[in-house]
Amino acid sequence: MRRDLIAACVALRIGAGQAMAGWTVLAGRCLFYVLIMTVLSALWDKVAAEPVAGAIALPAGGLVLYVLATEWITLALPSVHLRFEDDIRSGGLEPHLLRPKFYLLQSLAQSLGGTLVRLAALGVTAVVWLAATGRQGPPAATYPYLFVLGVLAVSVGMLLYAVAGLCAFWTRRILPVMLVIQKLMFLLGGLFAPITLYPDWLRKLAEATPFAAHLYWAGVQALAPSGPMFLKAAAWQVLWIVLLSLLCVVLWRAGLAKVLREGGV
Amino acid sequence: MSAVITVKSLAKAYRYAKRRGGFFEAFSPEHVTVEAVAGVDFEIGKGERVAIIGPNGAGKSTTLKMLSGILEPSSGEASVLGLTPWKQRKALAYRIGVVFGQRSQLWGELPARESFALLRHIYDQEAAPFAKRLGELTERFALTDLLDQPVHRMSLGQRMRCEITASLLHGPNLLFLDEPTIGLDVTAKAAIRDFIREHARDHGQTVLLTSHDTRDIELVCDRVIVVNQGRIVVDQPTDQLRRRFLGRKIITFQSAGQGVSLDLPGVTRRASEAHATILEVDTRLTRVERVIAAAMADGGIEDVTIEDPPMEEVIAEIYASTHAA
Repeated sequence: MRRDLIAACVALRIGAGQAMAGWTVLAGRCLFYVLIMTVLSALWDKVAAEPVAGAIALPAGGLVLYVLATEWITLALPSVHLRFEDDIRSGGLEPHLLRPKFYLLQSLAQSLGGTLVRLAALGVTAVVWLAATGRQGPPAATYPYLFVLGVLAVSVGMLLYAVAGLCAFWTRRILPVMLVIQKLMFLLGGLFAPITLYPDWLRKLAEATPFAAHLYWAGVQALAPSGPMFLKAAAWQVLWIVLLSLLCVVLWRAGLAKVLREGGV
Repeated sequence: MSAVITVKSLAKAYRYAKRRGGFFEAFSPEHVTVEAVAGVDFEIGKGERVAIIGPNGAGKSTTLKMLSGILEPSSGEASVLGLTPWKQRKALAYRIGVVFGQRSQLWGELPARESFALLRHIYDQEAAPFAKRLGELTERFALTDLLDQPVHRMSLGQRMRCEITASLLHGPNLLFLDEPTIGLDVTAKAAIRDFIREHARDHGQTVLLTSHDTRDIELVCDRVIVVNQGRIVVDQPTDQLRRRFLGRKIITFQSAGQGVSLDLPGVTRRASEAHATILEVDTRLTRVERVIAAAMADGGIEDVTIEDPPMEEVIAEIYASTHAA
């Protein structure tokens, strides 16, 4: 077990190194982040300035900080689902099965390494963007807590993508699965607007899903930081990391049994 | 000689759904069973270098996959280094090295050095012996200039040298090679063959190789198992097989004028095209250089190509010969 973890840490370090080596791609993501935030902040500023009659009152300062946090997480995510799909469909899994270490753990660790680098780079971009646009950000003391929630949030997102990727054992193509997951991230995760704006029953339902653990909790912490909210958010995120990890292991074992029996998918 | 691999009645059948036309037929597909390996038996001793050859779909790769533990057989038994491969895949992984010629085991986007470093941890290798082994392989394969290059930027020959290095870094007792020279140029093939032969000989390593290239078999292996339609057709030393079936070359002469006409022992003319004469040469009777010299003396030669007969032809000949016997 210890040796497995050491190998996973090496994979994580290599993943981080790869993301840093591809700095031009990373810079492109950061620029894209700035572009998205420039557009979305203009939209939310207009909505806040001209409230529609009868509409729910938006939080003070608009939703810019919320969207800043959710986009920070979304843009840091790795495309682990494509890697799994490609390896499973092309037979690229075979060399990995000939190794004594757990492919799933190694692949996720490597993906997480790159994700952490992107998360850090996009985080710095967010702070610079806030300063450049003269907007009030969350208090600096809350940044470490936000970073913790951000790391947990990308872990949940990465595991959701991993579940989609592992479906390739049965579906071969994962595009339909990904479309469902991404729509649910949008709707139940609260990508552009906090789920607190939903009707009460839908809010409660959405809060309990992995999609909220992926996006909503970190976003709401950026909007209105608080200690109890941080603990609640982290608890939901850890719960979903555990459950989704177990689901990945179950899917992996079932898929592997299929490959060993049938020689492919 | 102690057996490193023992195979008894090993068989693998694949079952797949055959698509039929029509909407309703899609809900009740017809299932077809294909017998890829039909009950093979053999033993391979320590230090032996054995080739499994056969035409496409003969069951070579399926056999190799079962012996390396990534495919469960339909029936039969196999023991590899005292382990049942498909039941003890992880334990076996520490003791075997595998190279798939058509599939990379390295991380394409990583420099080879980082792939190797990751493999050290994947195989739980101590730093010092690993560094020593890597140093030896780097020197032997002239990899120094390649170590910091991402694998996806390497030529096929360079990548294959790195692949073989990667498969040997944990000091395996047994090496499985599936088409290790496929797609390589003549020089790269020669370098890989020399290396595999010398490394296996120096380290007492057992090698099981599949290939379409008869030169891989002649130059690397001392025993050949010929399979066809999932069954073993011939299992004999390479020397015997070479004497009977591997002593032929196909020489194509391109000429501007009329075709080449030679009257030499063991040289027969094959169906040729305009300006291209194809000769089959039995090298036991006439050497290749003599044929070329004679053709050049005839004049008008613009280009010459020398090839081995296609594997399918060799197998067909072996198959016909064994069945006639």
